[in-house]
Amino acid sequence: MVGLSLGEKHFIHGGIAQDLRSDGRKRLTYRPIYVETGVIPQANGSARVRMGGTDVIATVKAELGRPSQLQPDKGKVSIHIDCSSTAEPVFEGRGGEELSTELSVSLQRSLLGGKSGSGAGIDLSSLVVVEGKICWDLYIDGLVVCSDGNLLDALGAAIKAALSNTGIPRVQVASSASGDEDQPEVDISDEEFLQFDTSGVPVIVTLTKVGKHYIADATAEEESQMSSAVSISVNRKGHICGLTKRGGAGLDPSIILDMISVAKHVSEKLMNKLDSEIAAAEASEDES
Amino acid sequence: MRGTQLPLNQTQKVRLQRALQQLESLSSKINSNASVTVADSIPVNYEDGVLKYTSRLLGHGTSELNGEIVATVCGIVERVNKLVYVRALRARYKPEVGDIIVGRVVEVAPKRWRIEINYSQNAVLMLSSMNLPDGIQRRRTAVDELNMRSIFEESDVICAEVRGFQHDGLHLQARSQKYGKLKRGQLLTVPPYLVKRRKQHFHYLEQYGIDVILGCNGFIWVGEHVEATDDMVEEQVSKSEQQTMNSDGILTDMEEQEQVSTPLEIRQYVCRAANAVRVLATLGFIVTIEVIVEIVNLSSSMNLDIHEMLGSEFCVLVTEKEVERRTLTKKKG
Amino acid sequence: MEFVSPEGLRLDGRRPTEMRQIRAELGAVAKADGSAVFEMGNTKVVAAVYGPREVQNRSQQLSDQALVRCEYSMANFSTGDRMRKPKGDRRSTEISLVIRQTMEACIMTHLMPRSQIDIFVQVLQADGGTRSACINAASLALADAGIPMRDLVTSCSSGYLNSTPLLDLNYVEDSAGGPDVTVGILPKLDRVTLLQRIS
Repeated sequence: MVGLSLGEKHFIHGGIAQDLRSDGRKRLTYRPIYVETGVIPQANGSARVRMGGTDVIATVKAELGRPSQLQPDKGKVSIHIDCSSTAEPVFEGRGGEELSTELSVSLQRSLLGGKSGSGAGIDLSSLVVVEGKICWDLYIDGLVVCSDGNLLDALGAAIKAALSNTGIPRVQVASSASGDEDQPEVDISDEEFLQFDTSGVPVIVTLTKVGKHYIADATAEEESQMSSAVSISVNRKGHICGLTKRGGAGLDPSIILDMISVAKHVSEKLMNKLDSEIAAAEASEDES
Repeated sequence: MRGTQLPLNQTQKVRLQRALQQLESLSSKINSNASVTVADSIPVNYEDGVLKYTSRLLGHGTSELNGEIVATVCGIVERVNKLVYVRALRARYKPEVGDIIVGRVVEVAPKRWRIEINYSQNAVLMLSSMNLPDGIQRRRTAVDELNMRSIFEESDVICAEVRGFQHDGLHLQARSQKYGKLKRGQLLTVPPYLVKRRKQHFHYLEQYGIDVILGCNGFIWVGEHVEATDDMVEEQVSKSEQQTMNSDGILTDMEEQEQVSTPLEIRQYVCRAANAVRVLATLGFIVTIEVIVEIVNLSSSMNLDIHEMLGSEFCVLVTEKEVERRTLTKKKG
Repeated sequence: MEFVSPEGLRLDGRRPTEMRQIRAELGAVAKADGSAVFEMGNTKVVAAVYGPREVQNRSQQLSDQALVRCEYSMANFSTGDRMRKPKGDRRSTEISLVIRQTMEACIMTHLMPRSQIDIFVQVLQADGGTRSACINAASLALADAGIPMRDLVTSCSSGYLNSTPLLDLNYVEDSAGGPDVTVGILPKLDRVTLLQRIS
């Protein structure tokens, strides 16, 4: 991508200073969000989220697996993001790998909690079928179809929507008469699905620092001017679930605290907006 | 039809559909069955002798197949005397001599700049085909060549005129004070077919204090008004600005300067006009200065927040207004 | 396994020479010069075209025609059982090549010398016939980008199972091991541009 001229950079900086950004938004206003669920029928759950020019798809696939030895009472969740070359010609070949990895790791940190699995936005113990033997492995895959900044927030929203669209088949465990060593036999129901509880899944709010101020939902142009960005994931209770900082420039600790409280405030609005969009999307999916 | 990609609720959908249908019925009376897709045959009047000279008279977007003229792009069939061509909708820019364009410098090469103008190749602006900032007509010296970056550097947005094709590609020229570097504003891109060639492409909207440049290549500049005459002063200012930036590398000082230089009121109009262009581009309507002004006025009379102009509701409203406008012009005409 | 019932119906209820439902949508990728989503039954692909634009790698520039490039990739979630495949495995490379050659044959490349056209095809959901769906999507995306073409290539696959020729195979029929062939034709010119027999 070609860079911006000095004049345009000034204009962006000036606009952010005056609380009137290039597309007329205030510093903390989000672009309109549009959610569509069930876009990939083959997956257990899927959603497409669009925020301005940014367009992402997230899917959830559930497979039966074995819980790890260390945490026999928990299921496993993995998040993987891909940047499609349709979004940006530079993503061709291995070009998008770096960004994909960065996004995957950030999302894992924001949504999955620590290594022990505690504090995760997704309730891992609800994924266990037989303790120590069988659990559900959730594979969350994201795909960036078109990129215009703020991919992390959009992917976070898409994953949240995909999870609420996910139905996990009910599993009947056949009583195994043989020894405890064997994997018990299971019967996966085709008709009964358990709705996933997504009330604990956080939303991600990325505050991008440009000049002296920070903005929410930056476009690609604004992102090119950032000095650093802090992504904060906040759940419905207003608790911080994850925090990542990108960008080279250092931040004053007081600014970070300030950003956290702002993010908490912004997340409430975003969460409500997202929930109503998801509900609307689910409703229109049922209709068709 | 190409999807507008607008998230609409039920009533908005119905309203938009109705408006679009009305628009279609308005236009279809003017030129029916003129639109073609790839591989459609174009009917021609053989008695006019078009066929005899087909190879010479086939225009853009057509080819000959078994004595038939076939479209090679999707678009509108146009006929000028015996020439038949298809004007493509949605394509990259097709330059014509004399077009006013807005572009971005991608490379500073010996004696020339290479400029991205949404064409299949980068265009070339020779140092010799532009007026120097001091406005003096003279031979370009080696010193001028060394100072090329002080005129335009990489990623600058400039405005110029299409000069013509030469052996090494498309050439531009900027032999007037009105051409040159564009500062303090934003660049928007729309599909080039939405900008019609007109007498005037530079617009100074006095009531708002903003400049709008509708580049024929679909690049649209919306920015704070700059007097064309004090170009030299501007140049010096920008040079000193660059120096401050280079010396401390941080933009904070400059930012305050900028804050002063683009007043909030003007910035509001810049953003409003820019969003008007964005709305027109999403709806696929022709971008003219009159329509932009109309949309800006509509949005401010509705007391709409500037960013709400990009919402679906306003887009539907603009479509309905467009229907009204076209019905009116049709009655007059 | 029985792929055609005695009544002459296939597993998904189609007749042997019946296609799956197709759906197309233009302009799905806002940033690209042209884009299209194409669905054939459950197979869903999105194609984006960038260009004609300045050649990125000068050494590849062709002085008499446009350079056409193509990349095919499959999303992780596109197949029934999820698998992680690195980008650019042999199958993707082969399909990229097939798409590129097919599209090159119909683009009037001589009209855009010294430029580059990139076609990116992304499979969102694979249920047989991805090759055909990709070619159809690429064709539409090129038309949307306003790139001059001799004709719109259309493609479909067919196979032979239970002594019956079947049109437009889905995944189950595709992996049944019978012979199948993918054909791409230029309907107006009445020419075959792609003919591939797989397995």
